[in-house]
Amino acid sequence: MDAVTYPNEAVAEFVMTNLIPLRIQFDTQPHATDFHLKWTPTLITLDTDGVEHHRTVGFLAPEELIASLLLGMGKSCFELGRFEDAISFFNKIIDQRPKSHSTPEAVYLRGVATYKSTNDPKPLRLAYDKLKAEYADSEWTMRAQPYSLIG
Amino acid sequence: MAKSVVWEISMDKALSRAKSENKHVLLDFFNPG
Repeated sequence: MDAVTYPNEAVAEFVMTNLIPLRIQFDTQPHATDFHLKWTPTLITLDTDGVEHHRTVGFLAPEELIASLLLGMGKSCFELGRFEDAISFFNKIIDQRPKSHSTPEAVYLRGVATYKSTNDPKPLRLAYDKLKAEYADSEWTMRAQPYSLIG
Repeated sequence: MAKSVVWEISMDKALSRAKSENKHVLLDFFNPG
């Protein structure tokens, strides 16, 4: 991460604009125990109360890191019930980074967040249709398969 | 344009900034090798 990803100017700009970056050595207590740390690099997205919402382990290339961080912020908003904010983060992944590894999960969660904010089940079916058409091999396509029954 | 990531090293300070700036925290557990 220090050799490739963090020195990337787009990554630096994204992180400094959108997040508070916090770096802690892997054996620092009580954080290592609190977060059940077992390997590095481990990257965790926290909300303003310090609650974890997204975690990755291992190297991420610059574009994948940005997509993963957007996913983390979107998941945080989703889990806090801020569905419109969550959808905005998911749209940035889907529209601007369609080939990232984070995109299928963003498609799935956008469908769920839209359903939860409208009570209309059609976004779930639309999420499945998009996943099947564009990300057929993704685990998120499998997870969305029941939504194929929505008319 | 930011040229590099400037890291906080204190959880308390990072969370305080997160609240005041209404941002999420990117927590990176690292091994300095």
